[in-house]
Amino acid sequence: MSALLDDVTAVIRTVFGDDEITLTPTTSADEVDGWDSLMHLNVIIALEKRFKVRFSTAEISELKEEGKNIGSLLDVIAAKQGSAP
Amino acid sequence: MNAPTETRPVADAQHAPDPAFTQAVAQFRNTITPDMDFTTALGAVRRLAKLRRQGARSAVSTRVAVLANTTTTQLAALLDLFLFAQNVDAEIYEAPYGLMRQEILDPSSELYSFTPDFIVLATTRRDLGAAPNAPDAAEAAIDAAGGEWEALWRKAHERLGCQIVQNNFDAPPWSVFGNLESSHAAAPGHFIDSVNRALAARAPGWVSIHDLDGLAASVGRWNWGDERFFHLAKLPCAPEHLALYAHRLAVLVGARLGRSRKCLVLDLDNTLWGGVIGDDGLAGINLGQGDAIGEAYVAFQRYAKALAARGVILAVCSKNEEANAREPFEKHPEMVLRLDDISCFVANWDDKAANMRRIAQELNIGLDSLVFVDDNPAERKIVRDLAPEVAVPEIPVDPADYVRAVEQHRYFEAISISSEDFQRTQMYRANAERRETASNVGDIEEYLRSLEMRAWIGPIGALEMDRSVQLIGKSNQFNLTTRRHSAADIQRMLESPDWVTRVVKLTDRFGDNGLICVALAHAQDDALHIDTWLMSCRVLKRGVEHALLNNFAAFARERGLNRLVGEYIPTAKNVLVKHHYAGLGFTEMAAAEGRTLWELPIGAGWAPLPHHISAEEVQ
Repeated sequence: MSALLDDVTAVIRTVFGDDEITLTPTTSADEVDGWDSLMHLNVIIALEKRFKVRFSTAEISELKEEGKNIGSLLDVIAAKQGSAP
Repeated sequence: MNAPTETRPVADAQHAPDPAFTQAVAQFRNTITPDMDFTTALGAVRRLAKLRRQGARSAVSTRVAVLANTTTTQLAALLDLFLFAQNVDAEIYEAPYGLMRQEILDPSSELYSFTPDFIVLATTRRDLGAAPNAPDAAEAAIDAAGGEWEALWRKAHERLGCQIVQNNFDAPPWSVFGNLESSHAAAPGHFIDSVNRALAARAPGWVSIHDLDGLAASVGRWNWGDERFFHLAKLPCAPEHLALYAHRLAVLVGARLGRSRKCLVLDLDNTLWGGVIGDDGLAGINLGQGDAIGEAYVAFQRYAKALAARGVILAVCSKNEEANAREPFEKHPEMVLRLDDISCFVANWDDKAANMRRIAQELNIGLDSLVFVDDNPAERKIVRDLAPEVAVPEIPVDPADYVRAVEQHRYFEAISISSEDFQRTQMYRANAERRETASNVGDIEEYLRSLEMRAWIGPIGALEMDRSVQLIGKSNQFNLTTRRHSAADIQRMLESPDWVTRVVKLTDRFGDNGLICVALAHAQDDALHIDTWLMSCRVLKRGVEHALLNNFAAFARERGLNRLVGEYIPTAKNVLVKHHYAGLGFTEMAAAEGRTLWELPIGAGWAPLPHHISAEEVQ
């Protein structure tokens, strides 16, 4: 789990060009400076490439919704990779 | 007539740029490649913003409006990035989402207050109406679609004098008509294909149709679109292809700003054939049928030869004894490239960065017109480090991938290809021979006489139009004012009683140089004002300047004018002609911000200038 969190954090730092970003499973998109709908897509695109997974249209929009956080993102990736989070 | 593009000196005297910073910026430009991953490309956009804050500037600046019915945020940022890679600073206006037609039709729109030099119409198939619902409606539907876009181009061009880049329409990956998709008159695929042909046929000289459909096909149509991102965010294509797409648009804009490259410089050993000619000998190198690797080298040579056939100059730069390097060209039966395809052949043991300068000088083109292909990473590095103006693509290990490695960059994009492009190699080579003759002949006058030059001097007619507009669009060095007039501008000049257009075509004993000079002037008060004067550097110091000046003077006298007035506007590239008018006997009458105005009285005291060209002059 924490290895995946580290990997996701690395991707998101690259996307935002900010090495200071720290994430926990409870961090939500709103808490990350500049994570708007455009950046959300940039994050999704980078994650798909890094983890060789494909998010569905519904997942992409849901992951930005109220109540979702980094933990939700980790769950989706882990499920696609076929391992328990 | 508006001059759409301001060119300005790169260095500015007040804060002389730090050489290390300039070098870093040049190297950054070389890292911007069309195969960049989307996330990497966005990182480069951020890096560009930072470099600009530190003062990074390009040689050319321009204004680009991007209009689309899709999301343009990423596309516009990447377009800016790829223009910067071509040494162009673009100020970009993104029209509000979905207002493509309105922005053009409404004279009070922001588009018109922005006054772009270029409009990019980033259309997709979704901007094209539905396919005709019956075969007999097809022709009218194709005509209506073509007519609508042409009307929009003309409206914008009329008001702005701008140039336009428009995508054609990308056929969908699915075929509801099955195999009949490409042939049935009511099939969407057939309709899109027909409209694309109509757009290409309708496009005037100031419109480039970007072949988006060809791009989608080369990527693979299912891969090109990512329907998720269209439905979620109206992205025009799959995000992973946005950099490639922006790159293609940028090279079309760049071509119109004279940023295309002109010369492909090829290494030999392990680039044009397998093995090392100096060690392996003629029989030992791997080239030709019967061996997969040998065939791959042949295929790459064929690609280079095809580029040469449409006007790209080829040069060789090899670390070899010259006789060894030439031997395969002369004797190997499987060589596709022959010595007469190579305009400049350099084989020695000097460092290749120095050789790049030599080749540029020999061919009379800028270092930034060269593309250098070498399988050896060390050679690529030294050229990137010491001659960063040269484009040096990464070359993969497998020769089967060489064509793609070069092709993806679209280095040699042309606005149009004239019949003279097809002869260019002969012209450059004849030139190199001429230079040799010059070094053998002691007296320059005798040399010029020995060239047996014949010129045709006359107005721009239908035959001369394409080539003239092309030269106006790309000539940088021998160009007094660098005004990038469009075909429409020229047309207006031809219709005006006050304007005179002149082109010069030159032949000599070594061959036909083609159309090598364009000059535009207009009568005002008692003077003929020379608005534009540009020449191909191939014919420098041959007396063409004198012949043309005499022609202008004769024209002016006939109209009862007393003076010729010339103008020099300095750019980063045209220092060559700074003293052009002084050399022709003009005197400086005014100067401001580096621009100078010159006059030459042509009364009884003035006599035509001598030259050795026998000229046929047409009024």
